Amino acid sequence: MIEFRQVSKTYPGSDKPVVEDLSFEVLEGEICVLVGPSGCGKTTSMRMVNRLIEITEGEILIDGEPNTAMSGTQLRRKIGYAIQQIGLFPHRTIADNIGTVPNLLGWDRGRIKSRVDELLDTVGLSPDEYRNRYPAELSGGQQQRVGVARALAADPPIMLMDEPFGAVDPITREGLQDEFLRIQQDIKKTIVFVTHDIDEAIKMGDKIAILKQGGVLAQYDTPENILSEPDSEFVSSFVGGDRVLKRLSLTRVGEMDLEPANGGTDGLLRIDEGLTVKDALSELIGSGHSRAVVEKDGENGLLTFEAIEDLMGGASGEPSNGGESSA
Amino acid sequence: MLYKILEVYARPDFPEKLRQHVLLSLVALLVAIAIAMPVALMIRNSRLGALIAINIGNIGRAVPSLAILALALPFFGIGFGSALVALTALAIPPILINASTGLREVDKGVIDAARGMGLSGGQILARIQLPIAAPVIFAGIRTSAVQTVASATLATFIGGGGLGDLIVEGYSRRGPEILLAGALAVAILAIITEIGFGVLERAFTPKGLKIAQKRRK
Amino acid sequence: MSNPALLLLQDLTGGTELVDWEWLGENFWEDILPALQGHIFLSSISVAIALIIALPVGILSARYRKAYPPVTFVTGILYSIPSLALFAILISIPGVAIGPSPVIIALVAYSLLILIRNTVAGLDSVPPETKDAARGMGLTDRQILFRVELPLALPIIVAGIRIATVTIIGIATIGAYINGGGLGTLIFDGIQRQFPTMIIAGAVLATAMAIVADLLLLALERYLRPWARVRRT
Repeated sequence: MIEFRQVSKTYPGSDKPVVEDLSFEVLEGEICVLVGPSGCGKTTSMRMVNRLIEITEGEILIDGEPNTAMSGTQLRRKIGYAIQQIGLFPHRTIADNIGTVPNLLGWDRGRIKSRVDELLDTVGLSPDEYRNRYPAELSGGQQQRVGVARALAADPPIMLMDEPFGAVDPITREGLQDEFLRIQQDIKKTIVFVTHDIDEAIKMGDKIAILKQGGVLAQYDTPENILSEPDSEFVSSFVGGDRVLKRLSLTRVGEMDLEPANGGTDGLLRIDEGLTVKDALSELIGSGHSRAVVEKDGENGLLTFEAIEDLMGGASGEPSNGGESSA
Repeated sequence: MLYKILEVYARPDFPEKLRQHVLLSLVALLVAIAIAMPVALMIRNSRLGALIAINIGNIGRAVPSLAILALALPFFGIGFGSALVALTALAIPPILINASTGLREVDKGVIDAARGMGLSGGQILARIQLPIAAPVIFAGIRTSAVQTVASATLATFIGGGGLGDLIVEGYSRRGPEILLAGALAVAILAIITEIGFGVLERAFTPKGLKIAQKRRK
Repeated sequence: MSNPALLLLQDLTGGTELVDWEWLGENFWEDILPALQGHIFLSSISVAIALIIALPVGILSARYRKAYPPVTFVTGILYSIPSLALFAILISIPGVAIGPSPVIIALVAYSLLILIRNTVAGLDSVPPETKDAARGMGLTDRQILFRVELPLALPIIVAGIRIATVTIIGIATIGAYINGGGLGTLIFDGIQRQFPTMIIAGAVLATAMAIVADLLLLALERYLRPWARVRRT
C-alpha cells in the first residue's frame, strides 16, 4: 500500500509548488493512474515515491513506513520502474538488462537466468530467441516489453510506470495494454501509473487521480465514478464530452443483466458477449435494429436500448453538459 | 638511395632517437589522459563546466603546435622536459572535448532508468556512462595520440630530441638520405599509431553499441 | 611596464622581458606584417586549391560508392603523415625546390580528407524523399545536384572548410622551416635568436588568425542554414 500524506513539492528558487498538498491511498494490488494535462505534476508525484525527487513537505508511506526509512538506492531496488523512454542499456544484452536489479541484489547466476527466461515468456518474447540480443535489434514494441520485464525482475511488490507504452504506435499500444492487464491479474502489483491520455487511464486504472495545473488533486475515484459523477467543471471537460460513451466502454455485453430472449431469435442481430457495450451500441445503431441477441453460457439474452439505459443508472439520457458536443 | 636510407637506420643513434620519440609521445599522452579524464568526470553533470571545457579545448586546438612548443622555450628552457610539457598541453584538448561530450551525450532516459532501478552514482558511471561513452572517449585519445606523435617531430627545434633530429640534420647538412630516413620513420610511426588506436577503439566499443551504430546507418 | 602580471612573468623568466614592445613597434612594417600577409596567402590559396580538388572528388565518391573507401584510405594516410616529415619528403623529390610550393602542396594534401569527407556527408544528409520529389517534378540529375543537393549540403561542406582552415593555419607555421614564409618565420627566428618576443608575436597572430577564420566561417555556416535559424528562434 502506498499513501500520500499532504505531499508538496516546491523547487528551490520558485515560490509556486509543482505538487500541492496531495493526499490519497493506493490500495494493495491496485493500479492507480495519475492523469492530467502537462504541468500538473503527475510525473513529479510518481518520482517522489521512489525518491528520484525528494519531497518538500508531507510524507509518502509504503506499507505504513515512511519511504525515507532507507537510502534512496535501497528503496529503488525494491520498486519496479518503467518509463516512456524505456532506457534500455544499449551496451548490454536483453538478459543483462532484465537482470539488472537481481544482479544488484546479489542473486546467484542460475536464479537470475531462470528469472530472465520466465519474464521473457511472461511478456511474450521467446527466451531462446531474445535473451542474447541487444536492444538495437528489437522493435519499439519489443523494447517496451523488455522495459516492463526489467521493472518486474526482482518481483517488487510496487511498480512505478511513467507512460510505459507511450513510445509505440496506437495499435501496438492497445496490445501491450491488454497484455499488461492480463499479466497484472496474476501478479497483483501495487502500481502507480502515469499517463496524459484519459482513455489509457480509464482502461488501465482501478483508481484514477486527476491532477490539475500546480499539482492539485481534482478528483480521486474509480473510473466509473469519475465518468458518471465528475465533481468539477475541470474534470468533466478533461474526461471529454463523450464520457457517457466512455462509460459504456468499461462494461462488456456479457457482464450485463439481460432479459432472456423468449421465442424466436431468427433474423435478429447477433452480438458477441466479449464486445464492450459501446461497440455493441454502435453495431446496433449501424444495423438499424432496436434489439440484438447475445449468447452467454448457452442462453440467449436480449440487448435493447432500454437495457443500456438501465446500465447507465436508469436515467433516460445523461445530461450532456450544456454546450459540449456529444460526438 | 634506399640502401643509403637503410644505412641511416643502422646508425647507433637511431634507436635512441626512436626511443625518445616514442617516450615523448607516450608520456605526454598518458599525462594528458591523467589530467583530462578526471576533469571530464568532474564536470560530467555540469552544463557550465562542459561549456567551459569545450571552449578551452577549441581555443587550445586553434593554437598551432609549433607555437606551443616554441612558447615552452622561454618558460621551461631547452630540452626533453620542456618538449614534454608542450606536448602534454597539446594532447589534452581532444581527449577533454571527446570525454566531456561523450559522457554528456549518454541518453537521459538510460540514466533515468538506471537511477530508478537503484544504481548508485558510482555504479551509473562505471556500468552505464563509461562503457557507453567509451567509443567517443577512445576516438579522442586516438586523435590526440596521432597528433602527439606528429608534434613530437617538432621537439627537435627546442632540443627535445626524437626523430625530428634526423630531419633537421638531413636538412641542414643537405643529406637527403638522412632527411628521408627521418621523414619516413616518423610517417610510419604515425600511421602505426593511427591504425593501432583504431583497433583499440573498436575493441573498446561494446558489441551492443556496434549493432546500434550499424542499424542507424 | 607596470602590469603586475607581466612583471611576474619577467621574474619567472629570470629578468629577460617576455614581450619587447619596442621591438614590436619598430619591426611591425618590416617583419610582422609581411609574415602575416604571407600566412594569409599560404592558407587561403591552399584551401582554395584543396576545394577545387575535393568538391568533384567528393561528389563522385558520393555517387560511386565503391570509390569512397580507397579515396579516404589514400587521403587518410596523407592526413596522418606528420607535417615536417611531409615537407621533408616533398623537398626530396627532384625538381621540387624549397619555398612556398612544397608547403602549399602539403597543406592541400592535409585538407583533402576533411573536405572530401564533409562533402560526402553533406550530400548524404540530403533526405532521399527530397531528391525523389525533385526527380518527380522533372529536374535532371544535373539540376538536382546544383539546385537541391549542393545547397542543402553546403552548411556541412562549410563546416569541413572551417576545420580544414584552422588545421592549415596551424600547420603552415611549420612551412617556414623550408622557406615557405608566413608567421612561422617569426617563430623560427625567435627560437634561433632566443628572443621570446618574436615567438609570442608569431604564436599569438597565428592563433588569432585561426580563431578569426573559424568565427567567420561559422557565421557563413549559419547564414547558409536559414531553415535551422528559423527553427531555433
